[in-house]
Amino acid sequence: MTSRKKRKLTEFLFLLPTLIAFVMVIIIPFIFGIYYSFTDWQGTGAVSQSVGFANYAEIFKDAGFLHSFLITLLFTVLNIVTVNVVAFAISLLVTSEIRGRNLYRAGFFVPNLIGGIVLGLVWQFIFSNILPSIGQSLGLPTLSKSLISNKDTVMFTMVTVNTWQYAGYIMLIYVAAIQGISKSVMEAAEVDGARYWTRITRIQIPLMANAFTISLFLTLTNSFKMYDVNVALTNGGPVTLFMGKPTQASELLALNIYNTAFKYNNMAQGQAKAVIFFIVLTIFSIIQVTWNKSKEVEA
Amino acid sequence: MKKLIAIVLTLALMMTAASALADLVIVQNKVEITSQMEEFAKLYEEKTGVPVKVITGGGSSDYNTVLKAEMQSGREPDIFVIEGPAHYEMWKDKIADQTGADWIQYTSAAFMVDGKAVGFPVSVEGYGMAYNKEILDKAGIDPATLTTYDAYEAAFAKLDSMKAELGLDMVVSMVAGTTTGMTWVTGLHNFNVYLTVGNERNDTTYIDKVLKGEVDEERFHQYCQYVALIFKYSDPDMLLNGTQDSQLAAFANGKAAFYHQGNWMDPSLVGLNPSFEIAYAPHAFLHEVTDGILVNPPSWYAVNANGNVEEALAYLNFLATSEEGADYMVNKAAMVPAFTNVTLSPATPLSKSVMDWNAAGKTYDWQQYKLPDGFGMGTLGPIYELLASGAIDVDTFEVMMKDAIAGIAK
Repeated sequence: MTSRKKRKLTEFLFLLPTLIAFVMVIIIPFIFGIYYSFTDWQGTGAVSQSVGFANYAEIFKDAGFLHSFLITLLFTVLNIVTVNVVAFAISLLVTSEIRGRNLYRAGFFVPNLIGGIVLGLVWQFIFSNILPSIGQSLGLPTLSKSLISNKDTVMFTMVTVNTWQYAGYIMLIYVAAIQGISKSVMEAAEVDGARYWTRITRIQIPLMANAFTISLFLTLTNSFKMYDVNVALTNGGPVTLFMGKPTQASELLALNIYNTAFKYNNMAQGQAKAVIFFIVLTIFSIIQVTWNKSKEVEA
Repeated sequence: MKKLIAIVLTLALMMTAASALADLVIVQNKVEITSQMEEFAKLYEEKTGVPVKVITGGGSSDYNTVLKAEMQSGREPDIFVIEGPAHYEMWKDKIADQTGADWIQYTSAAFMVDGKAVGFPVSVEGYGMAYNKEILDKAGIDPATLTTYDAYEAAFAKLDSMKAELGLDMVVSMVAGTTTGMTWVTGLHNFNVYLTVGNERNDTTYIDKVLKGEVDEERFHQYCQYVALIFKYSDPDMLLNGTQDSQLAAFANGKAAFYHQGNWMDPSLVGLNPSFEIAYAPHAFLHEVTDGILVNPPSWYAVNANGNVEEALAYLNFLATSEEGADYMVNKAAMVPAFTNVTLSPATPLSKSVMDWNAAGKTYDWQQYKLPDGFGMGTLGPIYELLASGAIDVDTFEVMMKDAIAGIAK
């Protein structure tokens, strides 16, 4: 064996444990999942029948799934905007000369350390108990009822909670990027008379475009796959009418898939939905990353 | 090392020997009453000389694992717990017929299959319209008259008009929110009112129809009116945002005259120290009189046909018909026995009321668990919420419910 070949083998052997784990818990279940989506598997025992594309055809007749799909898109767009705007704003704050900026950094990041379920329950209490009692004592009609049980405001509560949780994490990425920009570039701009706003939009943002690529990717996938806050905060409710059918107003795709599989015990159908979910998310992510990559520049 | 193996083997042998020594092995699932049950088993051994061993599996999923392990252990249990039809299907090859047993004459809650009694009811649970006796007395309403829709309509209206002087925030404390996960109250328990109220136990007319996607038009129409009536006199905020705790608190603090929950809430209810008398009134949704609450055992004891059937039947008979058995069930294990011959009363109000109704033989069946998975909570529940939030009226509610039910069949 040549030393080159030997080296390859060593590398492969070092990779093997992780590779085995990856194949066992990601690749194999994934392939099985695709396979089950073409059967009438019920989650127990062996697969009985292949049903072709019946599970997929069923999905397109399912108003609930369509509704989940649309509100997931809406949620994703709103969430990407708010999380990134807030994260960028606070990253500017904590990289400025402001006093106590390290405390702010820690403070903004802490919500991200709390689990989504706990967070959901805490905010549920805030939205359905604390805010209404404040609203009632101030005589504000919009606030005096729970914002969660109102189908028009429930999406706002989810975006608020997710932004509160996730902006601190994205902030870290922006902070790292801002600190990575060479001081000399910023100083040169200042000497040339560029104002604060111009410096941000013309110099900082283009130079940290790679941070936007990764942040937008993270928020896109995170919002699309949102489950824990969804289940704990709203549980998919309240109920609204969609195409004349009672539909869960805030049931995002992941929760819809979970409910199909486990509440209705319709495993194969849930699998088919999950496959579609995977394909759509992959397409969106590829589009987003390609588009963002084209915007990246070198200093 | 050899020594260690020897010790382990000896211990293992001794353990097998211990269960082999017992003439009767019981596998059960209620962790909270393990010690009471073992105590009762000891008492049984003193009385009859038959050694009994109780094996407990914690929680419902663990219980299944324990049961499967015990069934394969070479010393099959003689008595084990089944939790419903699905469980029965799994074990039916092993389950013995108990039809001739003495205890059957004292209960209507046996697990019946094709006219044969195959399960001994471990206890019963029940729900109805729990009421605050003090408030009803002040309003001059006799709870015994609440046996028709019209009686409820009049009572609710009267209470509603006297809200201020009675200190009420709402007439009925009821929850229907999907956000708070309370759709089992509406989509399962309340829906069961339509399925069984007024019928003999084991009469499956309406559930059979529902499973075929049909409803009895007249009965269903009346049921929808009843749901609307309850919602009309409930607090809108409680309906949509109420949790199990806030629902209970409103009733326990005297802010609601009625409470739509079952006797499993007793431990929490007693914790809030209600100062008034509490009992159940029927869910009477028809114009005709229906006098009974909805009662069912959560689980049953099945006898293993391959085991010591004779001893097992004797044990169960002793449990149901002796004073010691009654004392164990009511005082020690704090359960509501399913047997009419037991005269002891539970100390907690809702359980006591369930017991009284059961002893009077005025009970209706639970059949909501025969609905397909997710149907009650996931499909019907949201329609109740739409009605509760005022998004639809009762006629639309009826149409939507029928549509949803028609969707079952396909």
